[in-house]
Amino acid sequence: MIKGHIFHTFAEIFIGFGSGLIVGSGFVAFLAVLGIIPRLVQLSKSVQSLKYYQASVIFGAVLGTYLSFTSGTIEVPMIILAFWGLLQGIFVGMLAAALTEVLNVFPILMKRLGIDKELLWLLMAIVIGKILGSLFQWIIFVDKFNS
Amino acid sequence: MEEKVYIQLKKKITVEHNHLIKLDHIAFVTGNVPYLEQVKNIKIYQITEQDKNVSVIDGFHLLDTLMVSYPKLAFDLIGPNQVIIEVKKQERKANIFIILFIWLLLCVGSAMAIMNFHYDVSMQEVHQSLSLYLTGRETEKPLWIQIPYSIGLGVGMILFFNHIFKKRFNEEPSPLEVEMFNYQQDLDQYLIHHENVLLKNKND
Repeated sequence: MIKGHIFHTFAEIFIGFGSGLIVGSGFVAFLAVLGIIPRLVQLSKSVQSLKYYQASVIFGAVLGTYLSFTSGTIEVPMIILAFWGLLQGIFVGMLAAALTEVLNVFPILMKRLGIDKELLWLLMAIVIGKILGSLFQWIIFVDKFNS
Repeated sequence: MEEKVYIQLKKKITVEHNHLIKLDHIAFVTGNVPYLEQVKNIKIYQITEQDKNVSVIDGFHLLDTLMVSYPKLAFDLIGPNQVIIEVKKQERKANIFIILFIWLLLCVGSAMAIMNFHYDVSMQEVHQSLSLYLTGRETEKPLWIQIPYSIGLGVGMILFFNHIFKKRFNEEPSPLEVEMFNYQQDLDQYLIHHENVLLKNKND
């Protein structure tokens, strides 16, 4: 019986490690395709810090994994929550913008309708739409329809 | 020394309606012939209604035409192999209502897209459990995370596109501008293959 138990433990370790490996590489590939890190490097002109950024992403992924599986709690001031939320928002905002980019929606839309000059306003439409949709969902929508 | 004319085609030119195109318009010309001005003024192509708004003149067929006029002269074609001719159309002012409609379409569309995304990834539950971890209290609506999140969403997109309305953070092109440029290049490539006027006339 002891032998079987050890075998199961090893099998679990093997399966866990294997799935982590695949999910991790998938995550990195996803980030790479969307090009958020290069974009941030370009904006901040800090190519020399690239390896720290990579370390940050890896550390963040591991921290997130810990947070998903832990059942303990800590108590921090509300301002930390707000800061955390803001950072998440910026990250997801960049993801969303990058996805619009990858799908090539804009150039075609602009060209077809002959409205290259109003481009910025239309960009703002998307940005404002995202903010309003998000706020509406968290403040009003979840109360009425999600319980 | 041998008499020779060098021609470098321009990539793209814009002309008026019913314009008579001369060599000088579509290319940079130089050479050691005394009558260079005359060569520059040779008529190449007459824009007609049939050309609609874009035509392409191929370098090889241009040489063909030039050889007929100056059989003794040597021509050397350098640079691009084709020139794209864009016929100016009446300034089409985009209708304000259409723009307004598209604005609303994009705004509502992205609002719905982000809501669906939040459901898809169960963000409400993740925010709730994160809030439980950080504060030790159960919260139905962890707005302390979610409102800054929503604002950050907009900030992130603006950062990515490098624009706040007319103002930009630095002089580098934004990914969107690069994308527009690439799209235009693809269009030009397509035109070069499908709108070659001198070639068309030969086939007719």
